[in-house]
Amino acid sequence: MDSKSEGSSDQFSGRLGLIFATIGAAIGTGNIWRFPRMVGANGGGSFLIPWLIFLFLWSVPLIIAEFALGKRSRVGTVGTFRIFAGKRFAWMGLWTAWINVAIGFYYAVVTGWCINYFQIAIRGGLSQGVDTIEVWNSFLESPMQVIFFQWITVLITLAAIWGGAKAIEKANVTLMTSLFVLLFTALFLAFVMDVKDGTLDGFIYMFSIQPEYLFQPETWINGLSQSAWSCSAGMGMAITYSVYMRKDEDTTLNAATMCLANNSISIIAGLTVMMAVFSVSADPLGAVSGGSSAITFLVLPEVFAQAPGGPVVQLIMVAIFFLALSFAALTSMISTVELCVRNFVDHGYDRSRSVALTGFAIFLFGLPSAALWIKMDPTTGVSFPQFLEVQDHIWGYGLMFSGLFMAFAIWKYGWMRYRAWQGENGIAGFDIRDYLNHGVSSFRDDFINTGDNDWWIGRWWDFIMYLGFPIMFSVLMLSYFVDLLANVDDPWNPANPNGISIILLFWGVTASLFIGFNKLLISRPVFRNVPEGADVPIDMLPGGDDPFVVVLGEEPPEIQYDTNPVSGSKLAIDAEIA
Amino acid sequence: MSAIADSETLASRPGNRGAPVAAILLPFLLSMFSPMSIAPVAEAQEAETGASPDDIWSAEYVNQIHPWGGDEKAQFSEYHDYFSLKNRMQFLADRNPDILSFHEGLLGGINARGNQMTIDDYKGWHYKHPSPWVKITANVQGGDYNEFNDDSGNYPDRPDVMLVGAHHSREWMSYEVPMLFLETVVHYYGKAGIDNDGDGLVDEDGWDGIDNDGDCNSLNASFQDSNQDGTPCGPGDLGVDEDFSEQFITDMIDTREIYLIPMLNVDGVRYDREEFCGEQAYDGCDSNSPGWRKNLRDNTITGVTPIPDTDEEVNEGCDGVDLNRNYQFEWGLLIGVTPVPGVCTFGDPDLVQTYPGPLDTVDNDGDGRINEDHVDGVDDDGDGLVDEDWIGGNSEPETKFIQDLTEMNDDDGDGASDFKTTLSWHSYSELVLWPWGHCNNCQTVDDEYLVYHGVVMGEMTDYEPMQSSDLYATQGDFCDWHYGVHQSYCYTIEIGNTFHEQPDDITHIANRNLGVPFYMIEISDDPRYRAIVGIENTTSNQWLASPEEVSIPSKGDIPIGLCLENSFPYTIDTNLTHLMWRFVEPTRQQDDFGPTEWSSVPWSMAPFMTTGDQSQCSLVDGANGTLIEAKVPLPDTSVGKLQYKAMLGTTNGAFPFTYPTAEQGGNYYQLTIPYRADFGDAIFSVLMFLVIASFVWGGLAFTLREMFSEDDRVLGMPTEEV
Repeated sequence: MDSKSEGSSDQFSGRLGLIFATIGAAIGTGNIWRFPRMVGANGGGSFLIPWLIFLFLWSVPLIIAEFALGKRSRVGTVGTFRIFAGKRFAWMGLWTAWINVAIGFYYAVVTGWCINYFQIAIRGGLSQGVDTIEVWNSFLESPMQVIFFQWITVLITLAAIWGGAKAIEKANVTLMTSLFVLLFTALFLAFVMDVKDGTLDGFIYMFSIQPEYLFQPETWINGLSQSAWSCSAGMGMAITYSVYMRKDEDTTLNAATMCLANNSISIIAGLTVMMAVFSVSADPLGAVSGGSSAITFLVLPEVFAQAPGGPVVQLIMVAIFFLALSFAALTSMISTVELCVRNFVDHGYDRSRSVALTGFAIFLFGLPSAALWIKMDPTTGVSFPQFLEVQDHIWGYGLMFSGLFMAFAIWKYGWMRYRAWQGENGIAGFDIRDYLNHGVSSFRDDFINTGDNDWWIGRWWDFIMYLGFPIMFSVLMLSYFVDLLANVDDPWNPANPNGISIILLFWGVTASLFIGFNKLLISRPVFRNVPEGADVPIDMLPGGDDPFVVVLGEEPPEIQYDTNPVSGSKLAIDAEIA
Repeated sequence: MSAIADSETLASRPGNRGAPVAAILLPFLLSMFSPMSIAPVAEAQEAETGASPDDIWSAEYVNQIHPWGGDEKAQFSEYHDYFSLKNRMQFLADRNPDILSFHEGLLGGINARGNQMTIDDYKGWHYKHPSPWVKITANVQGGDYNEFNDDSGNYPDRPDVMLVGAHHSREWMSYEVPMLFLETVVHYYGKAGIDNDGDGLVDEDGWDGIDNDGDCNSLNASFQDSNQDGTPCGPGDLGVDEDFSEQFITDMIDTREIYLIPMLNVDGVRYDREEFCGEQAYDGCDSNSPGWRKNLRDNTITGVTPIPDTDEEVNEGCDGVDLNRNYQFEWGLLIGVTPVPGVCTFGDPDLVQTYPGPLDTVDNDGDGRINEDHVDGVDDDGDGLVDEDWIGGNSEPETKFIQDLTEMNDDDGDGASDFKTTLSWHSYSELVLWPWGHCNNCQTVDDEYLVYHGVVMGEMTDYEPMQSSDLYATQGDFCDWHYGVHQSYCYTIEIGNTFHEQPDDITHIANRNLGVPFYMIEISDDPRYRAIVGIENTTSNQWLASPEEVSIPSKGDIPIGLCLENSFPYTIDTNLTHLMWRFVEPTRQQDDFGPTEWSSVPWSMAPFMTTGDQSQCSLVDGANGTLIEAKVPLPDTSVGKLQYKAMLGTTNGAFPFTYPTAEQGGNYYQLTIPYRADFGDAIFSVLMFLVIASFVWGGLAFTLREMFSEDDRVLGMPTEEV
């Protein structure tokens, strides 16, 4: 409870700091290693069209919602759902946080790979003629090495966030600026490579529209999922960082800036990869679209090792690439840990203790992903971490639920406001026109178009939140499961790591645990991080009458453990650990 | 893919029949042909350009002197006539009583159809000779005695083979080939390990039509085509199939009963040689008139037929029955049968040549009706009996002889013919024929097996294999009857290139045809099963182009070859033979960390087509095969893996073979397909880049500027809200 001693709330120094932090969270390995694969597998320029469309249909609206939620609630994800969706739905915030942390468990491992590849690169271990499959397999199959670099990742991340928002800001500004410089350098080298072989075919392919791909649903589904994952929309990351915003920060334009910056980096990284691969590989599209750890850790080192300019340039190129990759991964790691830490701090825990606890948990629960089920793909002779892969499947799609939950909070608010309006005006019975004007639009009117924003959000946002979102969510989920059922042998066998049962099992167990924990969760006070002078009342919200939601510095009411004989103090302490 | 010997591309496999290739080939082909495997000759003669036959072989072999001695007829430098042939058969039978018994016609009795037959019923109409024949089997004096046929040496466990020459009298080679066969059997029986060609090697080149030991190929080119048929080192040339296994011959005689009838149509042969063409028939008779074909039935009697008038001279424009049209199965009403008994067919001389004999006038089954159930395997009158009252056929002494020899020879008493294989020699055209003959565009139920053996014998002789009716339709021939009535695998060999070959050519033509009767004997135990096994052996020699062998064109459909044995009875019917293919791409749900997963799609079918001029390919064992090709229609923009396998059906559809075989690496091949289309247009891509860049980067710049601009403008706010 000594968090009170800080006295005032923790804040970013300015808008730029927030932008760097959010961009850093959004930009991750997905931009550099998933995006080029998607471009290669979905018809080059044809993919860019759905990718851009869904940026504005999924990512931007969701980030806008996240900022609006966080800016008003001034707490992390758990508290935000407690305030916006009501006490009974605090577990949704826990789910959101959990997805983030669960991804973080293995993301630290992956970040460790990148750092390791950077150190191999600068020591000249990825020069021309090196068997990259051998490098990859021997690394992956020595768990101590993998764990060592995972540990390094966790240490760097903890160091960056130990000092709170200011430190996060500083780390992100440094890392992101470096990332831009590195990527542009790599882009330039790749451009030289692609021009040198006579044609700019990598560039041409990436920006050529092949109309037949636009008629394939897969292209659109891939565009949607790439947009959804790449911007970290739904992660709760924007909720978390908006806690540190100054009082009158604009959030709507932030959302657009963040997503556009994310896509800018995607294009730069995509161009770099495509031009480099096309200039060297005989079957570039086969190389690019042939599985992802393959392209990043197997193909690209080979490709960059053939860059013109001799061994020094080649070494620089490989090193730059993996350093950029490491930086992109680290900034995402920072937001992941911070999101978790924020939730602890909200509930009155000491920041340092929370950071240490989270860091330790991420390291500990990342160990299985680092060392468990390291398998060999018999057809290619390439090792892969199956446990990590399964985790990615489960929590990657679990992320979609977080997005849906946020939409749910917004629907709930809209409905509540409509009921309130009916009561004020003495109207009974449902009227769609009234509902649209006084319910659906209320979240936007109350929390988005507040007057602080530079970008006025129109009714289109309501349509996306109320109609577009459930539709896109259903299409994504349905296509995922249909695809699983169609392509995976024995999908219902729970022992099949690629099957459907294991995913439903993990989701089901997690969700029921969290729903079960809900009671304990809401028995604890939540401390809102409200900046001085800000007017952020929550009394009109579903969770607004919760006496345990207090502004930081206020004394919460006496905790009455005996209100529910089942949830004794012993269980409450267990819940703290959870 | 290790099963494919070399990795050369299929189009460029050389058609070289060099010694190493032959050495690889030998065990396979001989295992099919000989129960005793002949060791491959590793140290085959070095290819010395300019080797002459004398350098390699014994003088006897070079000069084609047969080791059994005898006069010029026995040496096959002169034709036998009826008497010398009969005497030679008797002589050999006397000298080899343990394996050979000589017979003329049949003794007679009540035949299988309930008719009383006497030895006279099998004598020719004109000269009154019964057809001479020998029975060849080990301990021919032992076994069961058959009263009707008057032969001993009947063993229920020995398959029977019937080999018949000279249905048509002018086809002189058709009784010389059986005589060479007889001489060979008699001379080599019981003598294992003979070096037939005197090159110091034993049994190194058996009957398969290929120069297995490479000695012919080692000759100077001028010696390689000793039979001057235009094919160097082909069947009939010196050095090809010249050193067969004597043990194989012995084994065959020990385990089979061979009924050899070298000269069925004695009347016709005598008339052709003594009256119609003369002894020097090969000097001009063929060009003047085609020789005497039929038997000597007297068709010109106006009295009651068939009462022959022995005093009458042969009426060459009318007399005689074409014995190979006289058998009862689908006996030919349509081709030139005399409508009124005893009246010759006038007009078309071709119809006279193929006169099938008179209409039957007997109520064969005694039910008061005549000819109501023709022999065609169907119960035409629906009385429960099949083919019991025939319209005609088997009316001649010679065909009755074949009929009763077949139907009265039932060693195992199962009521079915013992002759599982039968062979009929003819001239000319260099063909191997099998049933059916009576119908066009029709196939027997055993077609693929008949095709298989036919093609093997075609390769052995370099004769063209085909279904009989594909040459021309024939009703009532020997093979249709044997196959149609008795389910015997029956082949007709059309020897040589003219009716009366030059005496100089007898030996090499007969040599070229020597392997065929042995093959028929070998397969007589179960020709159907042997075809199945043979086809299955064949299939392991065939291959589907592996991913390394497929050359992906830079545009368009992807051709995938299938290399087949020439003898393989494949069909190009798409339902039975096709390439199964599917194109797999990385799954949509491809994750970032796992192995590449491929979304599988249903299999599609692509038909195989013959490839025209590029139809040559090299089989697994190195021999020449036939290449057929399927084209997989894949867009140039596809990137992923093409999975493919071939389903190979045979003409009758009984064999769905799949390639790759288990030895060739599993149930399908996977070929990586790179992107083959253009990567796009440079101008358009720059435009697209500008659009995307201005949207993303321009948008970013715009939002950043707006965020840090000092004015309080709110983007997109409706005017009424300001």
